[in-house]
Amino acid sequence: MPEADGREHASPAVADAVIEERSRLSIVWVIPIVAVLVGTWLAYRAFTERGPLVTITFESAAGLEAGKTKVKYKDVEIGAVEQIDLSADLSGVVVQARLGREATRYLTENTRFWVVRAQVSAGRVSGLSTLFSGAYIGIDPSTEGRPQRHFQGLPVAPVVTSDVPGRLFTLRAKAGGSLEVGSPVYYRSADVGDVVASELDESGNHVTVKVFLRAPHDQRVRKNTRFWNVSGIDLRLSPEGLELDTVSLTSLLIGGAAFDTPKDQDPGGPVEEGAVFELYPNRRAMLQPKLTVKRPFLLHFEGSVGGLVDGAPVEFRGIQVGEVRNVRLEFDADTNKLRIPVLIELQPERIALNSGGAVVSIGMDEVRRNWDDLVARGMRAQLQSGNLLTGQLAIGLDFHPDAPPAKINWDAPIPELPTIPSPIEELKTGLSQFVKRLSEVPLEQVGNNLNKTLEQLERTLASANALIAPDSEAGSELRRLLRDLADAAQSIRLLADHLEQHPEDLIRGKGAE
Amino acid sequence: MSEPEKALAARSLASCHDCALVVRLPAGRAHVAARCPRCGAKVHRRKVDSLARTWALVITAAMLYVPANIYPVMTVTSLGKSQSDTIMSGAIYLLQHGMWPLALVVFVASVLVPLLKLAALSGLLISVQRGSSWRPRDRTRLYRITEVVGPWSMVDIYVVTILMALVSLGQLASIEAGLGAVFFAGVVILTLLAAESFDPRLIWDRAEASHARS
Repeated sequence: MPEADGREHASPAVADAVIEERSRLSIVWVIPIVAVLVGTWLAYRAFTERGPLVTITFESAAGLEAGKTKVKYKDVEIGAVEQIDLSADLSGVVVQARLGREATRYLTENTRFWVVRAQVSAGRVSGLSTLFSGAYIGIDPSTEGRPQRHFQGLPVAPVVTSDVPGRLFTLRAKAGGSLEVGSPVYYRSADVGDVVASELDESGNHVTVKVFLRAPHDQRVRKNTRFWNVSGIDLRLSPEGLELDTVSLTSLLIGGAAFDTPKDQDPGGPVEEGAVFELYPNRRAMLQPKLTVKRPFLLHFEGSVGGLVDGAPVEFRGIQVGEVRNVRLEFDADTNKLRIPVLIELQPERIALNSGGAVVSIGMDEVRRNWDDLVARGMRAQLQSGNLLTGQLAIGLDFHPDAPPAKINWDAPIPELPTIPSPIEELKTGLSQFVKRLSEVPLEQVGNNLNKTLEQLERTLASANALIAPDSEAGSELRRLLRDLADAAQSIRLLADHLEQHPEDLIRGKGAE
Repeated sequence: MSEPEKALAARSLASCHDCALVVRLPAGRAHVAARCPRCGAKVHRRKVDSLARTWALVITAAMLYVPANIYPVMTVTSLGKSQSDTIMSGAIYLLQHGMWPLALVVFVASVLVPLLKLAALSGLLISVQRGSSWRPRDRTRLYRITEVVGPWSMVDIYVVTILMALVSLGQLASIEAGLGAVFFAGVVILTLLAAESFDPRLIWDRAEASHARS
């Protein structure tokens, strides 16, 4: 049976479909291909944009959580903590953080990491937002230096980050005072910088304080600029009276430093970053001229030196020429005597030299000759009252031509300058002598004598009283006498009258007419 | 006319989707498109390229399943503290906080169901390609279950989108969809399309053919 017939027989009413050729490959396979392409591209991008893994060592992982804690710069998320492990020696924690690719070139040896937590301290409050969001890791990126992947995390946020223009300077101080990291640095009471580090140097003799001064104030630091500590209150009882020095309440709480260039000095040229300056303990110390030549002398005083303290001024007619270095009690075994040597330092640089501008340099011999000459002319040291209110003493130098002659003993380890008692001392001595003499007076005897005299006087008066009493014999006689006297006077008056009328009676006699 | 011939003749007939005209298709010729002689609509006996399409979609869905589970689905930011969760970590979080019924729902709907769907579709495709005549009835039931259950996987996506719209209190709290949600939606949609493009009649075609052969 032919196929055509068969088809017609089987289903005569069925129409044949119109046949078209079509592509053998289904278009649907585009979907997985696209998916693969997109997936590959995503994977490639994820791999190539996968930033560096850094390890940061912190003291503690407080507030840090693997997979959650972010690394932020200027509040922009640039990475996240992936893993937190204890360090091998259990001294800290090692945090592994994956940063964005763009962070690669900022990971150098100068880059710093720290944990930002809420912090409230005297002077500043920071990181309050972390109270809600949890701690995050802060970064201070730096492009300078060798690339690095392992970092030591800072215990606290750095005060100064590298995006703030300014310069660092180093200060050396005998004591750190209450300067801490974050303490402000003032220039004429304006906050222009911060203390960024304060640590003992290796020798342990000095405290090295690093300060950061923000631009443009860092330009105010010149060669002759001086820094001083303004921590707390500088309250001093000095011969000048009560001195109070403080800059601000903040510096009272967290300390601070200040700097300035003394007005009477040439400010000097600009300085390099990192220049080293001395940190004076206070403003007063800063204001004192820098004195290098110091000439020690020893003074011996007879009386009390109560009120004389280290640092008390040595004055010549009211102008300071030096200061007291040391006051102590000394026992001289040879003479079995207690002495009070007072060590002073004269600072010849305080004395302006009028030599016509020429620099005069003189040898030791001439210095001695000069001093000998001065002493010969009566130069003596004397305790003076520096401050009547506080009773502090100062040492005065002046010429006393009538002082007993003395000489400087140049052979002693420290030359000794002759002294004379102070005016007060003289007064005291005179007074005590007077009192002594007074005590020598035989007061008891004097009293006894006086007593006797008085008794006699009493007796005399009593007898006198007896004489003039109205009922006494002497009294009546006296009255008779007085009466006789009155009669006599009467007769004389009569006689006088008579004679006035009859002057001839003087020659002829009365009744002789 | 023998039985096989009759079956063959029946298989060469198809009804036009548009005008319902029964047309005869040329037998034994692959890669041709047939049109209805009356209305011009394309006429197929079975879903076009069913196996290839289903395979392509299943493979793509399987590929997307990986990032869907790696990337976070949702990022919850509350009081500045943000937490990103993948599907699995979300389920674990719920379990740790004692909400095991919810954890079970999330796990079943979002992890197990897509995985089982992919496995079921792959199994059906392989069995059809190999011309297996093993329990065609059960396999058809499996297909129906797959088709019915499929859309429920979208629950996760709905939850995320609704939360996103509801919880946007600025700094206080906000919820953002993660990249994982996009991939997950892709998985669910692709498996739905794959189930749609699979033609269960193929199961019976093969069973019939093998039956005819034996």
